[in-house]
Order: sequence, then structure tokens, then C-alpha cells
Amino acid sequence: MVSTEQATDLLSREALLLDQKMWEDWLHLYAEDAVYWAPAMVGDEDWTDDPDNDVSLIYMDRAGLEARIFRIEGGDSYATDPLPHTSHMVTNVLVHGEIDGLANVTAAWSVRSYQRVRGAITRGGLYEYGVRETADGLRIARKKIFIHDDRIVGPIDIYNI
Amino acid sequence: MVSVFDNPARSAASLIDDRPEEEIFRVNRAAFTDQAIFAREMSEIFEKGWLYLGHESQVPAHGDFIATRIGTHPVFVMRGGDGNVRCFYDACTHRGSKLTGRTSGNATTLTCRYHGWCFNADGVCTLVRGGKEAYRGGDLDRMSTDLREIAGLGSYKGFLFGCLDADVPPLDDFLGGAKPFIDLMADQAPDGLEVLRGESRYMMEANWKLQTENSTDGYHVATVHRNFATTVAYRETLSPDGDGGMAKTEASRILSLEKIGSGGYDVGNGHMINWADRGNPEAGPLWPQRDELLQRFSEGKVKWMLERGRTVTLFPNLLFNDVASTCIRVWRPIDVNLTEIETWCIAPRGEAPEARRARIRKYEDFFFPASLAVPDDVRAMEGVQTGSDALDDGWNDLALGRKTLVYGADEAARELEVTPLNSNPGREVETPFFAFWREWAARLG
Repeated sequence: MVSTEQATDLLSREALLLDQKMWEDWLHLYAEDAVYWAPAMVGDEDWTDDPDNDVSLIYMDRAGLEARIFRIEGGDSYATDPLPHTSHMVTNVLVHGEIDGLANVTAAWSVRSYQRVRGAITRGGLYEYGVRETADGLRIARKKIFIHDDRIVGPIDIYNI
Repeated sequence: MVSVFDNPARSAASLIDDRPEEEIFRVNRAAFTDQAIFAREMSEIFEKGWLYLGHESQVPAHGDFIATRIGTHPVFVMRGGDGNVRCFYDACTHRGSKLTGRTSGNATTLTCRYHGWCFNADGVCTLVRGGKEAYRGGDLDRMSTDLREIAGLGSYKGFLFGCLDADVPPLDDFLGGAKPFIDLMADQAPDGLEVLRGESRYMMEANWKLQTENSTDGYHVATVHRNFATTVAYRETLSPDGDGGMAKTEASRILSLEKIGSGGYDVGNGHMINWADRGNPEAGPLWPQRDELLQRFSEGKVKWMLERGRTVTLFPNLLFNDVASTCIRVWRPIDVNLTEIETWCIAPRGEAPEARRARIRKYEDFFFPASLAVPDDVRAMEGVQTGSDALDDGWNDLALGRKTLVYGADEAARELEVTPLNSNPGREVETPFFAFWREWAARLG
């Protein structure tokens, strides 16, 4: 059973690696079969819940995450050059037992992002993780990101949600 | 040098340098930055023409509504108890309070949150709270308490358009030469199209017309979206099995422009078309239905449906995009340098699960502010907005493609049996823009 302390450590580590732009180390936290999912909003209160029939803001496997790193590091994406400075604030980390053999972890998040062209952007929401215990430590098998901002200012990518 | 701070008011005509006999077409960049021009656009374009409101599939049942704006006016589209769709100004007839508190929903009775007046889904005022005690006989008749409908509401194949001015040509005439291209999307679904769940709403710190140009601009694809193409190509090397078949993205059409057919049209009334051959049409979600489509439509039309990606940009702020996936995009001006953009994925009803899944994944790849493409577009348009302030007398000379411009139809247009005002057998052209800017100048007067 994953402890709250272990889960907090994992989520804090992920946040730090993103804020330090250590993409490969960040990716290493994800399992080979990882699913990374940011549902889209439906009306004012709901989110899409069926990625096969509804549109999501992001729905990616691990190859998708790797491709995002390729996009960011290549310097060829106008929106991503220069990258903003980010600070991920992750709090209220709780472990709620297991779902499908994965520790179900929730947390609140807020990211302050600053880039000279756009200035400061802050957005926030909730995380829901499915975490797997492996011989190499904890790995993220599922990450669902609820983004509360529904009139999105600036780009959204792995580094600022 | 003339200071930007002491310019006299500029007319729209002075910002367009259109000399057909000399084959010169230029647009002054003040069109993107002038506050007085923006105010005229609101009154002459957004209050006096057909504008996209939504798709009928978004309001299937009695009481379903979607709240939106026409220009600066809040309006909502609602399905009445009689089955008819109407569009009302979103304001209580009592004291003007906005009636819808949500972007969409269902309410067979709308109750004003301020003083409690009620309206049914047909717009009829059904309750004036305390009215019998406080109003005299003729008071409520004088006020006309029923909700006010906008002047015009029209539907073309399920796409709903509204207009605040009764004195405009019928919707059918306005859509005109764009209709055969809208049909390529609408007719591919024997059971009709449906807007999928999942919204996207994002802000662009740039003038709305930059999105109009960008939507039909094939020239930026190989630069701004080179990153999209290389990123998805890289991703496909990581999971060749997982991303094969229908899910395979058409990176090739972006990277190898010279090898594929492409073109752009001015189809009149400010509408513009841009198209390019699909890199691998058999990977399109519609390909499995090819034989069935050939029984219903001409070979030329089916070729256009399946083998050519199309962007259909309708005057002034609507895009139907049928490329790797299918997208509706609307961009609504908020200020001269601020625009709100909304997109929806639209798909044939009853589509096979694997085709639907592939369509959605490709849509997410390209059309969202969290995608691999739209953020780069937004940044590019914001860069143009900022740069347009650099010169007080900066002109965009839209000569790209003049060399290959054809008046009337080209070969691809003849395959669809349409006759554009002008055609250009190449995607990297600016000549379709003449359509938009001529309509823009004519509307502003």
C-alpha cells in the first residue's frame, strides 16, 4: 500500500522535474503503459469522461509524452520558444486505496507560469493519479488532470498543467 | 514621420489598395489595430450579417439551449416545445437581466434570477411575478413581455446562422459559392453530423481578422506547423503499431508540399477555400464508406470528400476544417486586439468506433490550445498583431500566387462542378484573401 508520504514525494518530485525542465527524468516517472489525460469541459460543471467518444484536451500514451518532449526541445514550436518559467504547487495529497491494482491518489494543483511575451498566467485544478509500485520505485500509470480554466489563456502543454 | 497618435480617422476603403487592372492588392496593417475600424466592424459586419451560432445536434430536445454572442450582443439558441429552434436576445424583457446562467443546458422554463419572471422554451412569458397586483391593464401589453427573437435564423444542413438585421439577403444566397464545399462535409454523413462532447474556448491577443486570414493561409503550414509534422512523425516511430492505420497522422502533406496537389479559391461573398491532397487518404476515417458514397455522389465529389483536405473559411469568422479530422472553429472579436476562439469536433452519426476514436485523437493533435498546432498558430497571430504596430504605414502586399492565378475555375474546381471567382493551383497563395478583404471593405463602406 502506497503511503501518503510516498505519494506526496512522488507528486512533489514530478512537479520539481517539470519546473526544472528535466524532461527525461520526468518521463522516467511514467510507466510504459501510462495514460495521460486532461478531459475537456462540457457545459459549466462537467468534464468529458469517455475518451473514445468524447473530445479531451489531451489524451496521450507514453509515446505521446515523449513526442511532447521532442516538440519542446526542438526549438521549432513558436509557442514554446522561449519556454515559460513555471512553479507547480501541488497540495492536499491523499491516497484513497486501490483502483484496478493502482494506488488512487488525488491532489490540488496550481501552476504559475511566466514568459515575457505573455506575462504571468496562473491556472489550476485537480489531479487524479493511478500509481504503481515497482521494483524501481513508484511509477505513474495514469494521470488525469482536471483543468478548471475554461477560457484558456496561453498554450497548454505538459510543462504548465 | 507621422505619429500613430495623431492619425485622422481612417476609412476602410483607405486601408485597401485594390487595383484589379494593375493586379495589385494590398491591405494596410492599421486594419488590425485601428480602434475606430473595430467599432465599425461591430456595427456593419457583426450586427448586419449572417453569423454562425451552432449546430442543430447541440439542441436536440425541448428546452436544450446554447448561449453565445453575436458581435457584442448576448443571444441564446433554444429548442421550443413545438420542436422549432429559435434564437433570442439573452435579456429579460423586464429589466434586461441576462437569462441564461450557463453556456449550455436544458430548461423548459427559463426563470429570470433577478425578479423571477418566467419564459417557456418558445420564448413566451408565462409568469410576471406579482404582476396582477402591481400592473395596470395595458402595462404588460405595452412592454411586450415575450422574449425578443433576433431578426433572422437560418439553417443550412444543420448549421445554424443568425442575423440581427432583417434587411439582408437570405442565408442560402449569402453562403452561395461556399455551399458545395460545406456539402463535402455535410453530405458525407447519411444519418447527419453531430457535434461531439467536449468544449474548447481560448483567447488570442490579436485581431479577429488574423484568424480569418490564418484559417485559409496555406503558406504558414510548412513553417508554423513543421513542428507538428515532425513531432507526430517522431511519435509514429515510437509506436508504429499503436499509431498505424486510421490513427496515422498525415504528416506528409505538411512536409512534402511540392509532391501533392493543392489550391485556393475565392468563392465570393467573402468566403475562401484552401485545399490539399491528403497524404494517405485511405487512413481517413471516412475511407471505409467510399463505395457507398460513390453510389450517391459523382466521382469528382467523392474524390473531393475523401482525397482532399479542405479548409472552408466563411465570412467573417467561421471555419469548417475537414483535413485529418473535422473541426468547426468560430472566432469572436472582443476588442481590436483580443479574440475569443471556440472549436468543436463534428463527426458523422453512427460512425464506426475505430474511425471515431481516430478522428478524436487527430482532432486533439491539432485543434486545441493544448494541441501540437493551435498554440503555434496563436503565437504567430499574436506576433503579427504586435508587429503590425511597428510601422505606421505598413502594407501587406498580397501578391503571393499572382503568378499562377486563374480567373474562374481550375481543373480541380471543374471536378466538383463549381466556378470560383478565382482559383489558384497551389496552397501557398494569398489570392483567396481578396475574397475576404473585398467583402470587408464593401460592408464597412
